[in-house]
Amino acid sequence: MLNPLRSEQEAFRFLIYVAIAVAVIVGVVLLLRAVL
Amino acid sequence: MEAAAHAVHDDHHGPPAANVSSRVEAQFLGMLLFIISEIMLFGAFFTAYFFIRVVGEADWPARGEELPVAIAGVNTAILLSSSFTMHWALEGARNENRRALTMGLLTTALLGLTFLTIQVNEYVHLGFSPQDNAQGTIFYGLTGLHGAHVFIGLSLLTFATIRAFRGHFTAKEHRGVEVPGIYWHFVDVMWIFVYSTLYLL
Repeated sequence: MLNPLRSEQEAFRFLIYVAIAVAVIVGVVLLLRAVL
Repeated sequence: MEAAAHAVHDDHHGPPAANVSSRVEAQFLGMLLFIISEIMLFGAFFTAYFFIRVVGEADWPARGEELPVAIAGVNTAILLSSSFTMHWALEGARNENRRALTMGLLTTALLGLTFLTIQVNEYVHLGFSPQDNAQGTIFYGLTGLHGAHVFIGLSLLTFATIRAFRGHFTAKEHRGVEVPGIYWHFVDVMWIFVYSTLYLL
């Protein structure tokens, strides 16, 4: 299981996942706001 | 018998071993509690932000004010790229590549410093202050809290960089780079949330 507190490598991977997830959420919210 | 007991007694130096009541490793537990307290601290500021926007239905930013989304976006890219150089530095330490370690740490520190400089410059040119309205208070509170964390991270990186240039850290022993690295990535994760909520949404 991914544990960002265990090593820098896992913290870096966690950062990448967060960046992707937040980019998708922000994209969907902005898209919905433009459409609705 | 007495001589053996004496020898055992002589071998022991320093205070007795600490009582370990938890099954979780002490360093890991400490870091976990620290991160949880940090999440609660940032959470309090995010609660205030969502309270005025969702419950209070306030404009964001306040009417007549504007946030420099593009400049802050470039600043976000600068901070995120510093996580890549941090990772590069640690890979350098793991592979005994001193050049990658020193240059990675130095670049990370310089990128972090650039981020803070741009943020201070943004504060100077924003045109509103923390005492103007609730939006201003929350904006400066959240970005300032994050900026303080960047400053602490920069201090840790400075120590690590000086140590790296002095020849410290090996493939096996590089905790002095690993821990600031974890902290630095945490600061970057927090910025992703701060930038997304304050500037984009």
